Amino acid sequence: MADENTKGKPKTPVAGGPPKLDRRDLLMGLSTVPALGLFGYAWSRQQAHRAGVEAAAAAPAAAAGVQEINVALLGAGAQGQVLMEAMLRIPGLRFRAVCDIWSEYNQKRVVNTLKRFKHEPNAYEDYREMLDKEKQLDAVVIATPDFWHAEHTIACLKAGKHVYCEKEMSNTLEGARSMVMAQRETGKLLQIGHQRRSNPRYLHAYNKLLQEAKLLGRIVTVNGQWNRGVTQDLGAPDRYVIPADRLKQYGFKDMAQFRNWRWYKGKGGGPIVDLGSHQIDIYTWFLGANPSGVMATGGRLYYPPETHEWYDTVMVVFDYQTAAGPAQAYYQTQTTNGSNGYFETFMGDQGTLLISESEVNYPGQLYRDPNAPAWDEWINKGYISAPKEVVVKEKVEGAVADVRESAPPDQHSVPISLRDPYHQPHLQNFFDSVRGKAKLNCPAEVGYESAVSVLKVNEAIEAKSRLAFKPEDFRI
Amino acid sequence: MNTVFEVHVAGADPRYAAEAAQAAFALVDRLEGELSRFRHNSDITRINHLTAGQEARVGEAALECLVIARHVYDLTAGAFDIAIGTGLPSLEIDADAFAVRATTDGVRIDLGGIGKGYAVDLVAELLEEWELEQAFVHGGFSSAVALEPPSGQDGWPLTLSDPRDHSRVFSRLSMRQTALSASGVRKGDHIVDPRTGAPVSGRLAAWVALPRPAGSGSAASEARPRLAPGAVADALTTAFMMLPLDDIEALCARSPGLEAWILADGASGVADLIHLTGAAPDRAAGDSV
Repeated sequence: MADENTKGKPKTPVAGGPPKLDRRDLLMGLSTVPALGLFGYAWSRQQAHRAGVEAAAAAPAAAAGVQEINVALLGAGAQGQVLMEAMLRIPGLRFRAVCDIWSEYNQKRVVNTLKRFKHEPNAYEDYREMLDKEKQLDAVVIATPDFWHAEHTIACLKAGKHVYCEKEMSNTLEGARSMVMAQRETGKLLQIGHQRRSNPRYLHAYNKLLQEAKLLGRIVTVNGQWNRGVTQDLGAPDRYVIPADRLKQYGFKDMAQFRNWRWYKGKGGGPIVDLGSHQIDIYTWFLGANPSGVMATGGRLYYPPETHEWYDTVMVVFDYQTAAGPAQAYYQTQTTNGSNGYFETFMGDQGTLLISESEVNYPGQLYRDPNAPAWDEWINKGYISAPKEVVVKEKVEGAVADVRESAPPDQHSVPISLRDPYHQPHLQNFFDSVRGKAKLNCPAEVGYESAVSVLKVNEAIEAKSRLAFKPEDFRI
Repeated sequence: MNTVFEVHVAGADPRYAAEAAQAAFALVDRLEGELSRFRHNSDITRINHLTAGQEARVGEAALECLVIARHVYDLTAGAFDIAIGTGLPSLEIDADAFAVRATTDGVRIDLGGIGKGYAVDLVAELLEEWELEQAFVHGGFSSAVALEPPSGQDGWPLTLSDPRDHSRVFSRLSMRQTALSASGVRKGDHIVDPRTGAPVSGRLAAWVALPRPAGSGSAASEARPRLAPGAVADALTTAFMMLPLDDIEALCARSPGLEAWILADGASGVADLIHLTGAAPDRAAGDSV
């Protein structure tokens, strides 16, 4: 690299490589370094080594042998930007359009970012205009507020597009049901954004640890939470506030409601839906059963109720009839203290799995019940790590036992990490499915089942009693 | 970034300022997710797992930090190097494709010496977007950016103190539209000279001040890669912990507005704080600084 750069232009500043100096020269000081200016950096300086080597580098989607997919982002807010960041790291995508009613801010920011990544998306405020004009679109990724999901998804499916729609699938069961129907009518793909379904650690836990090795034995209880510290309401820069008539047109009474729609009835579902939905979906997946009943309490304990219509604190118990027998699961979400963050714990008669999506906290630990069969086989296969604490049973001469403090249970870890942004594998699964190379990990029916379980929690809070599910509640 | 970020805003509605601060902290969280080598799925961790010839796609933040880091590596002849061991030139940065390729195994980068400054630059940018011009931001006290001062003041009042005893103030500064960064060694810590692999000796602390190239809304604020004085100052402080004073002076002389303060080991008081300045800042010529 250094050779290439210094050849023929020995005095030029450092393009791809350093000046060709050996260590001793470097220590001689800055006299050999040309004056670049403190802000003299530019993308182009980094390009020299590539010039003529890889002309195709400028086209982000031009990955060899991959069919390019034309995508639009519908909803360019915080979650839309998270999805965009993940998609920018997936080869073979071409952003053609961005649609968001906040044309003064989020829409502009996302379009500008995409342009820097060499995409040339058209910007829209109205999704209908986008669908009218962008005929070449293959897929639309939807990250609008929940109460828009059904209308947006159905319109995109009917326009012949494949759809990735964020969870919660809809803020109403009718909405979610109509999305499933539209998917069936059109035959287009509909993936719902329960991204843990594509997370390699969760897939490993389900396929290898629970299904194949059955490490937990029979799961009888589940515990999980998402605790989050106090958060200030979201605001907006004064100069970029959306005019009142446009807000009204799109279903928001004012800018504050537009920014904080998750807290409002008729728009979102509150923390139990925003946060709990992800994890309650995992309960169902890992237990292999939808719940048969739910009891819950919820409170508006902390935030002003006029701007926080949904419960800031929810505690839920689900009951299940699994293939192995009855099970119960607890879940809590509160938004005033982030203690221990988020995780799910599956407790079986032979072991415990503590797992979360986070790569920082609880990235997968297993505890073996002392009476369970040895896990050596699974350690040797690489399914789980060797135990952290190896307890050696020492035989003491002339004694039955050395009586001492009890050892903690063996702790193993799940040796699977996600190296990519959290949403990337689920999006990748969607785009692979669009190419016919994979099956959706969270198709419409699965997203619907999850919505039935989760939306019922808010109902149960109001009912103040156990609400039963019938198996047909989960089917369409 | 395992540190405290603070935003000070003057002359604004407190609720509005708090909303902006909330947006700023969300931005810092996002940057940490992309830039921290301790996050298993950050862009930086992905780079740190590359083997020779492999490539990682990265986002804008990681790419900008890498380009700026490479620039300061060049400016300082390798005294600032985010890839101690293999050296930063062992990464090929393809800015068009937002891709980074390792030319050798074992590249381990750490943005510890530049990431906070970069984050502070972006927070300053966000505050300007919210029209909160009278603001001061710092990350962990070591990377700071002063925007416009509170009404009636010439600048935000700042101090440089003795790292061995912070109650001993060496210098009082009043700053506006300036990034100020510090490096130093706490007891038991050391800074490694990337050129030799040996611990640096002879310096207790270094500070770098660098004017912001331009205010909000200007062409310079749209530039990419960003003109990021916080990131550049942050990176320079590390290099200034080991570069000979002559070199630092030469760099100051040809860089309008750049100021450095160096505290040598064994310094006993303010008289030992070496202050180096170059030509007067020319804010109009910001992007050619």
